[in-house]
Amino acid sequence: MPFDPHFIARLIPALLVGAEVTVELAALTMAICLVWGLVVALANGVRGPLAWLAGGYIQLVRNTPLLIQLYLVYFGFSMAGFGLSGFASGLLALCAQNGGYVAEIYRGGLQSVSIRQFEAGRALGMRRWTLYTTVILPQVVARVVPPLTNQSIAIIKDTSQVAAIAVMEIMKITEVWVETSANTYDVFLGAALIYLALTSITGLVGKLAERRLAFAQ
Amino acid sequence: MNEFGPLIHSFWYLLRGAAMTVLMATSAAVPATIFGVLLALLHIFGGRLMRSAILGYLFLLRGIPLLVLLTFVYYLMPLTGIDLPPFWGVVLVISLYYAAFISEVFRAGILSLPQAQWDAARSLGMTRGLMLRIVVLPQALRLAAPPYVSLCVSLVKATSLVSIVGLWELTMASREVVERTLAPFQIFIGAAAIYFSICYALALYGRHLERRVLLGH
Repeated sequence: MPFDPHFIARLIPALLVGAEVTVELAALTMAICLVWGLVVALANGVRGPLAWLAGGYIQLVRNTPLLIQLYLVYFGFSMAGFGLSGFASGLLALCAQNGGYVAEIYRGGLQSVSIRQFEAGRALGMRRWTLYTTVILPQVVARVVPPLTNQSIAIIKDTSQVAAIAVMEIMKITEVWVETSANTYDVFLGAALIYLALTSITGLVGKLAERRLAFAQ
Repeated sequence: MNEFGPLIHSFWYLLRGAAMTVLMATSAAVPATIFGVLLALLHIFGGRLMRSAILGYLFLLRGIPLLVLLTFVYYLMPLTGIDLPPFWGVVLVISLYYAAFISEVFRAGILSLPQAQWDAARSLGMTRGLMLRIVVLPQALRLAAPPYVSLCVSLVKATSLVSIVGLWELTMASREVVERTLAPFQIFIGAAAIYFSICYALALYGRHLERRVLLGH
């Protein structure tokens, strides 16, 4: 029977345990990708074999499904002798894929700054360091915040896929509870509400940051 | 090359899975595009009630992971007695999900047209239908084409999720082969390579369209 209060009282704590894992996984992924994406974007910017490598990496991770990357890391690595836990495999695959996306976001942000801004700075006799820290980067930061917010929301939703390698986050707990109880509606409603809360909060934080940085536009 | 024996032996099987992936992605992309354009137009030209209904739809679909929706429908269909073949069930969910993203891309394309275009069309005495058909949509569709193609890449990758709810396509095929051959590394790399060739071809086409849009300005 749907909306049984006793059932919901037991369900909510269980889902929140999963939500903790989801949040940990998403937050770690985002934190690592902010740095890793920058490394990839910088490598992609210099001329030479390094750029070729970074470009190949970006295309490779962006054009293959996360699920296949998860399986490759989780099953493939353990077969090759160095097995990782489900959580570690999930984190590695999530970072590998989203690092490619974040690198492209950084590149887009830098490219969107008009060449005149560089020329004007140089004409004023600014040193390279001053030009970048006071003129270019504030604009880049303001422009990458909206796409980075979207990427964070995508990461939160992507974490649901690690259920496929048995990490007990929201999705996996949802599956277990649906299969052991007959309360399909309650369980899915609970899971959907938690995901909606997480993605909405992320969206709101992004909006606030955007407003704070509006001066640089 | 002995290590890659399992992959070579099962490559034909994986390719059949890839054909299923392409079929599934196409069947989902066509209705998703039609519904997405419709949503974008209703979002811009519809009344207040219509607009809030669409905003609610976008909020729900963009805040909940696709995997949750797919699993929900998987468990829901037997409960409600809807006798839909699983293939069409997942195609329906994927197209409803991507319609939300596609509508945002097209809406951005339409809204990015300068006001002067609308004013000029109106001052020539065009009706709204004519204005949309020969002034607004041709330009908006061209602007929206590159992000639309990257959504299609994302849709192709998303079809891998249906393997979790038991449908047979490339990812499911590769998991079957892995269970038989115990060579996860080789097989999943093979599957990733097939996904890559599909998605990269699409991405290159998107880049080509992007260049055309930039030239047009």
